[in-house]
Amino acid sequence: RKSETLHYVCYSILRLVWLHKTDGYLSVLAASSPPPPGSVVVQGAPGLVSVPPGFSMPSVPPPSVPGQPAGETGSPLPNPGTYEECHRKCKEVFPIQMEGVRLVVNKGLSNHFQVSHTVTLSTLAESGYRFGATYVGTQQTGPAESFPVMVGDMDNTGSLNAQVIHQLTSAVRSKIAIQTQQHKFVNWQCDMEYRGDDFTSAVTLGNPDVLLGSGIIVAHYLQSISPALALGGELVYHRRPGEEGAVTSLMGRYTGNNYVATLTLGGAGAHATYYHRANDQLQLGVEFEGSMRTQETAVSFGYQLDLPKANLLFKGSVDSNWVVGAVLEKKLLPLPLSLALGAFLNQKKNKFQCGFNVTVG
Amino acid sequence: MSAAGKKAIGAPGYGVVEWISTACRFATDRNDFRRNLLVNLGLFAAGVWVARNLSDFDLMSPQPII
Repeated sequence: RKSETLHYVCYSILRLVWLHKTDGYLSVLAASSPPPPGSVVVQGAPGLVSVPPGFSMPSVPPPSVPGQPAGETGSPLPNPGTYEECHRKCKEVFPIQMEGVRLVVNKGLSNHFQVSHTVTLSTLAESGYRFGATYVGTQQTGPAESFPVMVGDMDNTGSLNAQVIHQLTSAVRSKIAIQTQQHKFVNWQCDMEYRGDDFTSAVTLGNPDVLLGSGIIVAHYLQSISPALALGGELVYHRRPGEEGAVTSLMGRYTGNNYVATLTLGGAGAHATYYHRANDQLQLGVEFEGSMRTQETAVSFGYQLDLPKANLLFKGSVDSNWVVGAVLEKKLLPLPLSLALGAFLNQKKNKFQCGFNVTVG
Repeated sequence: MSAAGKKAIGAPGYGVVEWISTACRFATDRNDFRRNLLVNLGLFAAGVWVARNLSDFDLMSPQPII
């Protein structure tokens, strides 16, 4: 039972690292970078919008041949996305706990390559320097997607986080992630995802060790039942010398006009999230987590205020463990600076934590 | 006899008081998993209700002119 919990915790950490790095990749694509000299503005056909330098118009599929009966061209149900993304919309509303001082300098060297320098000063965690690099390839599959993507960073002690994402075919995407603590490999995993017309399936192999005969296999499947409803499941199988076990969970997601409700039920417990987009400025999230193993439950309520006219983003949260937190992000235009202030207060344990980040570029 | 009779007459009232005190003990016992689960499910439902019904305000709307 302890080993099951340990393996499930390891898998959850692997998934969190994965999601964090994937978010970093998406923000890199949105980050500004100087256009290479001599770039040509690609003009579309008359009447279409001109494309900024460094980008290309996505290819338009040829019209269907007349005479084909309707309904045979494809499934009317949309692809439901990935299993991990179901709870993400609600999770992104909540503020992230910050402690200490962090200075991040991002520098785009070209449309494909970006480096970052991060200096962290902290009393609770280790202070240090981290160098990161991101490469985005030339195989463009969408207006904001290019492959392969290679993201890596290393700190001053030699600990490495690296990830490679590549689109093998139009439906198959693969990821490899490695994490080391100085010279020792801590996490290594490989992921393969297949996106069908109305379903997504993925298999992840975590920390496989052929010599020891240990590892973790995670299988996901998510199917669109209707344009609003998607149902899926997860199977986690872990093996170590002398023991093995499996944990299953089922998930349902309902998407409305301006809300998303997701519920996950499994052996580990229950996880429910509700995301509501009130208007362009205000988004709210409510999250419930319950675990039969630890016999604990918790509810969190969070909101995000986005005021682009004021270059301001504010996130606040309060939860059932008497923890109140908030993060304020402000762009200091016209400088390419972004300042983030965060504070978390635990009323029950009488603890307070605050921090601020400065991001350049 | 009179004491037994008095107890028989007061038994329903005594049962209700005992039920109320049990319910109060359950509601205030922070170490009880079922109690915490019920309270947090209620908070989750309240949070969803607040998100759906009390979030329709526009921060950038102009001030009302009186």
